[in-house]
Amino acid sequence: MSHTPVAVVGVGQTNHKKKRADVSIAGLVREAAYRALADANMDWSDIDAVVLGKAPDLFEGVMKPEMYLADALGAVGKPMFRVHTAGSVGGSTGIVGANLVSGGRHKRVMSIAFEKQSEGNAQFALGGGKGASIGAGGAFAPFIRAYIRRSGAPEDIGWMVAVKDRLNGAKNPVSHLKLADITIDKVKESPMMWDPLHFLESCPSSDGACAIIFTDEEGGKKASKPPAWVLGTSMRSEPSTFAGRDAVRPQAAMDCATDLYNQIGVTNPREQIDCAELYVPFSWYEPMWLEAHHIAAPGDGWKMTQSGETALDGAFPVNMSGGVLSSNPIGASGLIRFAEAATQVRGLAGDYQVGGAKLAIAQAYGANAQFYAMWAVGSSLNPLG
Amino acid sequence: MARSENDIAIVGFAQMKPERRSQHTETEMLLPVVNDVIAQCGITKSDVDFTVSGSCDYLSGQAFSFVQNVDAYGAWPPIRESHVEMDGAWALYEAYVELLQGHLDIALAAGVGKNSNSDPSTLYTIEFDPYYLTPLGADPWSLAALQARALLDSGKASERDFAEVVAANRARGKSNPNAQVTGDYSVDDLLSAEYVRNPLRKHDLPPVSDGCAAVILARGKRAYDLCENPAWITGIDHRIEAHLPTMRRDITVSESTKLAAKGAGVDKAPIDVAEIYAPFSFQELIIRDALGLSDKTEINPSGGSLVANPVMVSGLTRVGEAAKQIMNNGKKRTLAHATSGPCLQQNIVCVLEGDK
Amino acid sequence: MTDTHESVFNLTFPFSRTLGSTLSTFFSALAQGQIIGVRTGGRVIAPPLEYDPNTGDDSGTDYVKVGPKGTVSTWTWVPNPTHLHPLNTPFAFAFITLDGADTPMIHMVEVESETQLQAGLRVEARLKAPGDCQGRIDDIISFVPASDPSPSAGAGEPYTPPAELEITEMDSYCDLNYVDNASPSTILWMNSLMQGKLIGQRCPSCTRVYVGPRGLCCVCAVELDESHLIDVTDSGVVTNFTVITPVQYHGQTETEPFARCSILLDGTDAVMAQQSILDVPASEVRVGMRVKCEWVPEGERNVDDIDNRGRGSGGGCIRGWVTTGEPDEPAENFIERMM
Repeated sequence: MSHTPVAVVGVGQTNHKKKRADVSIAGLVREAAYRALADANMDWSDIDAVVLGKAPDLFEGVMKPEMYLADALGAVGKPMFRVHTAGSVGGSTGIVGANLVSGGRHKRVMSIAFEKQSEGNAQFALGGGKGASIGAGGAFAPFIRAYIRRSGAPEDIGWMVAVKDRLNGAKNPVSHLKLADITIDKVKESPMMWDPLHFLESCPSSDGACAIIFTDEEGGKKASKPPAWVLGTSMRSEPSTFAGRDAVRPQAAMDCATDLYNQIGVTNPREQIDCAELYVPFSWYEPMWLEAHHIAAPGDGWKMTQSGETALDGAFPVNMSGGVLSSNPIGASGLIRFAEAATQVRGLAGDYQVGGAKLAIAQAYGANAQFYAMWAVGSSLNPLG
Repeated sequence: MARSENDIAIVGFAQMKPERRSQHTETEMLLPVVNDVIAQCGITKSDVDFTVSGSCDYLSGQAFSFVQNVDAYGAWPPIRESHVEMDGAWALYEAYVELLQGHLDIALAAGVGKNSNSDPSTLYTIEFDPYYLTPLGADPWSLAALQARALLDSGKASERDFAEVVAANRARGKSNPNAQVTGDYSVDDLLSAEYVRNPLRKHDLPPVSDGCAAVILARGKRAYDLCENPAWITGIDHRIEAHLPTMRRDITVSESTKLAAKGAGVDKAPIDVAEIYAPFSFQELIIRDALGLSDKTEINPSGGSLVANPVMVSGLTRVGEAAKQIMNNGKKRTLAHATSGPCLQQNIVCVLEGDK
Repeated sequence: MTDTHESVFNLTFPFSRTLGSTLSTFFSALAQGQIIGVRTGGRVIAPPLEYDPNTGDDSGTDYVKVGPKGTVSTWTWVPNPTHLHPLNTPFAFAFITLDGADTPMIHMVEVESETQLQAGLRVEARLKAPGDCQGRIDDIISFVPASDPSPSAGAGEPYTPPAELEITEMDSYCDLNYVDNASPSTILWMNSLMQGKLIGQRCPSCTRVYVGPRGLCCVCAVELDESHLIDVTDSGVVTNFTVITPVQYHGQTETEPFARCSILLDGTDAVMAQQSILDVPASEVRVGMRVKCEWVPEGERNVDDIDNRGRGSGGGCIRGWVTTGEPDEPAENFIERMM
C-alpha cells in the first residue's frame, strides 16, 4: 500500500456560546471553516472534499443538514459526506477525513462538525420527543455511582475536575464557559442535577463548530504553520445493554485505546504521551477514562486527578482547552478534542499550551458509553524517537 | 486483469424483500440480512474487520435510532464500527475508504430504513433549506415535479416517456424476487391516471418501502476466498451540487452525476448493466443522460427504485444488484448509481468489474 | 391477546432559528414590504444567501431591490395541501425569477386552476401587512397573476438596510406524525403485561435473558422468538438509580425531581431499566433495596404507552415498584448490575 502520512494543517473553531444569536446555522459552520482555512493559508477552492459530522438532527430540527450546508461549505461540485456516530461523531468525522487523505482519495479534506443547540432542546431530543427525558446526565449517573463505589474515590474528585477544566477553559479564547472564579465550594454547593452530579459538574449546552483541514505529507511539509501529524486512529463500538456489560470500564474503550497505542508504539501511555483531550461531559469521566484507556491502573485514575497530575502544569495534563465541561456543541465536541490535541503538538495553544508537547491523544465517546473514537497526533512523524 | 492488494471488491450481497409495512424494527430487519451476507461469504462475524451502516433518525423521529442497530452485528467483543446519516451506498464508500488504508481485509456495509412509519410528503420538508423551503411545506414530490416540468418544457422528454420508464421498470421487476410493485402496465393506462403533483402521477413516485441490505467488501486476494467471481470496484466517486434547485444552472441536467461518472471512469469501457437510483420516473432519463450510457447498456434489470424504494437502502441495493450481475450472472462491467437530496442534489457512481 | 398494535406519535417542537446578518436583512426588509436580493459572483440572487453557492465565498452586502413582480419558469400543482403547507386550498409551487434578480426562488402561486400556469407567467407577490410579518418566507403569502405585466418599479436598484434590523430570529414549528407498529417481540411483551406477568427471552447460545423480549441477542447476533420465552419473577433488587432534576422543555411531563431505577429481577441476570419506586421518595432511593412490582389491577391495564422503543417499560400495566420490607442487599453485590 502506498498511503501517505496525514497532516493537520488547519484548525478553526467558532466562539462557542450558549446561544450564537448573531449567526444562522450556515453562518456558524462558516465561522469555523473560515478560521481553519485561514490557519491553513487556503481558500475554498483548495479543498477537495468535505466531511460533516453532527449529533442527532433532532437537536436543530433539520434532517441531514449537510444537504442544505453543501453550498455554505464550498462543497458544490465536490464530495460531501455525513457521519453520525452519536457523541463520538466529532471523532469519527476527523477519522473519516484523515482516511480520505491517507487512502489517496484526496489531497486536501475539511472535516467539520457543529451543533447549534440553542435552536432546540437537547433533553427533548434525547427523550425521543417525549416527557420525563432522563438526558445524558441521568443516563451516566449510575455508571459514575458505580465507579465511585468500585474505586473508593473520595467525593471531591468530581469537584476538582470541574474546577480544573473551568480554569483551563478560562484561558481558552473560544470557550463557552469562562469561570475564572470557580471554586470547589461553588461546585459542591451548586444544585444537584443527577445525583451524584452537581450542576457545575455537568457540561453546558453550546452553539459551536469546529473544522480541521487535512493534507498529505507533501502538503504538511510545505505548510506555513507547524503541522500536526496523524499517527494513529481507532474506533470501537459495543451494544448498549446486555447482562455482564461493564459500563464503568467498557471493553470498547479499552480495545480502542489498546489498538491506538499499538499503532503508534506506545507501551506506557502515562509516560510516553504528553497530554490528552478526553471527552469528559461530566466531571467523573476524567478518572473513569484515565482508567478505561489504560493511562492509569484500575482504581488509580482519581489519584491522578487528586495529585494534580492532570492539571495544565501537571505531568499528564488532561483537557487543557477546558474540555467538554467548558464548551459543548455536542456534535462538534469530539472534533474539538481532536483539534485541541493537534493544536498542542503544533505548539499553537497559547495560554493553555503544554510546553514541549510532542505526542497527544484525543478521545470521544457516545450513546450509552458504547461508541469510541480516538486518535494520536504528533509534532513529527516519529515523536517517540 | 491482475488485482493488487490495493483493489477492493464486493463479494457478497443480501437484502430483505422490501415491504410496504414490515412488522419488524430496523434492528430486527437488519439481523437476518447481516447474518445472511456473512454466511454467503463463508465467514463468521469475527472475520468482519469493519462495519458501517447508513440510516436516518428522522425515519422514526427518534434521536440515535441507529444505536440500537448495533445489536444486529453481535458487537461483542467490541467491533470497529461507524455510521453515516446517508444511504447505505455511502456507507459502502466509507467501508471502501477504510479498506484502502491497507490494514483491514473485510468490511460490511449496510443500509436500513423503516419508511412506513412516516409520510414522505411531510417528513422530507425538514430536509430542505430551513429558512426558505421548510416553512413553505415544500415537499419532495413538489420539488421533483418542478424538475419534471422543466424537463418537459425543455423538449427533452414527454409525459409518455415518464410512463414508459415506469412500465419498463415494473415489467423488469417481475423477475426480481425482491420487488414490491411489479406487473405489466400499458403506457396509455398509466397516462390516464390523475396527477399527484402535475406533471407527476402516483406511478411516477417511488413506493414506500421498509427494507434493508448489506454487502461484504474484501481487499486484494482475500476477495477470492470469499467469492469465486468478485465484483471489483474499479471506480467510485460522489459529488454534490447546490442545495436549492433554483441555484443550479439547469435542473434538467445532473452535473454532479456527470462529475461522479467522470471520477469513476464510467467512459473508459462499455457498461453492460447499469442500476440507477431514480426515485422519480423521469429522473432515470436525466441520470442516463448524465452517465453517458450507450443504447447497449441494460438499465435496471431489477426494476430499480420504482419497484421498491426503502430510503437509506435503495442506493446500496443498486450497488448490490450491479455486483450480483458480475458475481452471479457473468457480466463484465456494471455500474451502480445512487442519489440523495432534492432534485438529485447528491449522486454517487460506482463502477464494478469482473475478472472474466 | 393482540397480534397487531400501532402507536401514533406526534413529534412536535417549536424550534427557534437565529438568522444571521444576511437573512435578518432579507426578512427585516420583507417586513417593510421590500423584497431584496444580493449581488454576488456577477448576478443577483434573490432571496439572498450569505454565501455564493458556486464558490462558497461570502456573498457580501451589495443588496438589491427585487420584485414584487416576477416570471414563472417552472411549476407544479398541489391539489391536496398537507397540514405543513401554509395555504389550505389547491395552489402551485413555482420557480419565480423576481424582476431585478438573475436566479429564481421557490414559492407558491395562487390561481383558480392549474390550466392557468405556464412558464413565462407574470406573477406578483402578495405580502402580509408589516405588523403581521414574523420573519418567515411565508411573510410572502403567495404570488398571484400580475394584473399588469410591466416590469416592477424600482427593481434592480440598490437597497441600503437600516442600521438596526427589526427581525433576527424565526420560529419553526416541527409537526411530524409517525405511526409505528409493534414488532412481534413487543406484542409478546404487551400480552404478558396485560396478564400481569413479566417475560423474557433466553438466548440459546449465551443463556443471557432479555426482559422484555428483544427478538434477538445482541451479543450472539441470533434471532429469538416465542420458543425462547421464559417467565421471570416480578421482584428484585434496585441495583442502581438516577435522580433527575427535570429541566422544562416543550412536552416535558415532570416538574419535581424523580428517580429511575435499574432492577435486577430475582433468579435471572436480567435488569429492567428506568423503573419508578412508588413508596420511597426520590431522595431516599438506595442501591440494594428489595422491591416488587405493583401491577395495575386487571381490567384497568392498557398498553397504550408501549412501543418498540420501550420494551422494558411497564406502560399502563405496571404502576411501579414498591419495597418489600425485607432488609437491603449489600450494595457492592449489585451496584454494577446496571444492565
